[in-house]
Amino acid sequence: MNVAQQFANGIIIGHAYALVAVGWTLLLGAARLVNFGHGQMYMMGAFVAWWLMSATGLPYAAAVPLAVLVGALLGALMQRLFLRLTLSQDLVNLMIATLGFGQILQGAAGLAFGAKPERLTSPLQAITLGGARVSCSAQDVLLVGATIVVFLGLHWVLRRSRFGAAVRMVAEDPPLAALYGLRVAPVYLAIFAFEGAAVAFAATLVAPRTPILTSIGFEQVVMTFVVVVLGGIGSVGGSYVAGLLLGLYTAFFSALVSPAYTTASVFALLIVVMVVRPGKLAASGGFAR
Amino acid sequence: MSGRLEIRDLRVAYDRAIAVSVDHLGVAPGTLATVIGANGAGKSTLINAIANWSRAAPRLSGAITVDGEDFSRVSACDRARRGVVLVPEGRGVFMGLTVEENLRAGVGAARGAGGRAYALAEIYDLFPRLYERRRNVGAALSGGERQMLAIARALRMAPRLLLLDEPSIGLAPRLVALLLATIRTLVDGGLTVLLVEQNVVAALEVTDVLYLLERGRLIAGGTVAAMRDDPRIIASYLGGGHG
Repeated sequence: MNVAQQFANGIIIGHAYALVAVGWTLLLGAARLVNFGHGQMYMMGAFVAWWLMSATGLPYAAAVPLAVLVGALLGALMQRLFLRLTLSQDLVNLMIATLGFGQILQGAAGLAFGAKPERLTSPLQAITLGGARVSCSAQDVLLVGATIVVFLGLHWVLRRSRFGAAVRMVAEDPPLAALYGLRVAPVYLAIFAFEGAAVAFAATLVAPRTPILTSIGFEQVVMTFVVVVLGGIGSVGGSYVAGLLLGLYTAFFSALVSPAYTTASVFALLIVVMVVRPGKLAASGGFAR
Repeated sequence: MSGRLEIRDLRVAYDRAIAVSVDHLGVAPGTLATVIGANGAGKSTLINAIANWSRAAPRLSGAITVDGEDFSRVSACDRARRGVVLVPEGRGVFMGLTVEENLRAGVGAARGAGGRAYALAEIYDLFPRLYERRRNVGAALSGGERQMLAIARALRMAPRLLLLDEPSIGLAPRLVALLLATIRTLVDGGLTVLLVEQNVVAALEVTDVLYLLERGRLIAGGTVAAMRDDPRIIASYLGGGHG
């Protein structure tokens, strides 16, 4: 086994996990809400970018921001559709409704884009960096760099900006926020739009690594769930670390044991962590760290 | 001077049970009115209803005007923006925000609120302790500091009418006196305040008008001078030793 190469792979996959999960982390941390349509929104991000490139001939660099915009609109649409459920924090029904929303997205994508595997091609995917011992594509470097920028940017916005303070207020105590004169609904809308935009952005960067199918959503939502729970429900910094560690774990597990059991072993790991240290999982009040 | 509050036929109900039923309550501009009553009399329910705010979901009816403007259908958020600012009992500041973030968070809403918006420097003059603690988060503050911060952030929002729900709760007697004296200073400066308080002895020292609430109804009301000798107040709240 080439340890250095597996380490590099783990870091790249880990950043992919973290970037895919960042929107849900904010959603859970700030709004205490879940979105089980998250994986299908990832799939939509990848397919919208693919469709823009293959149908209209747009370059990859132009398809990415457009797919992100569509993702933001999808997120905002979701919040409008489930407005009452989001404002009343009705988690069980929201879980079911978002699961259904995801299924509708998957069905619509199947009708619109077909059932064949497609390839979202990035020009950076073909550029190989590194030498004989360790190599990766330029796309991988972009993925890692973009993930770090998104996490640092989110951290800065939450800690330093007025809007970030509003998000933290909504996260801590929405009724009290109203007494400060803060309108809560637009903050929720922005959080959902960020969730949609972030997962679409992640999709456009991660999807060029493998062929895409309209059914790829499920695995993404599974991994996101693990990252968010291991990271300490809704903790931004925690999700980054959890994504990274999970990436290293899956890379070495695939190399040492078998790629076929990776997802199952990730769940075994999740169960062990939940049994051994349940108290460490809940981010108590300070999700913006 | 502004902040004249008029309430008519206010009813607050949880499920089927009517918790508060007040036919009339008024607060004159630039005065401090205090509602006293035993635990469970409905004091918090009453003052929360004036802000149209609650952590539960009561049904409200009745008419509320401030300076003649009808506020009956205005949401809690818009009441705060229009200068009817509530400092709730207990959790009144954000634990995850620093003192200064708490003080800055509400200020954007103050335009058009109608009262006087206190600048940050004025707040720190009024509560020097908050200046020392300005970089600490709410969770790191003592109970007294939190209460000061809760009132201070309300002052930042340019209140016409400041609604205070038991600011003395959990504070040492010396701090209660200091806090109420500060509130009195603000009233003397033109602020209109409605206070709900269980600490009757301390409240009497600073209040202009006193209301007595029992089982959700106002059973007596008047100037402090008149109410001080009211046998119901002496018997229930001041006890033999103070009478």
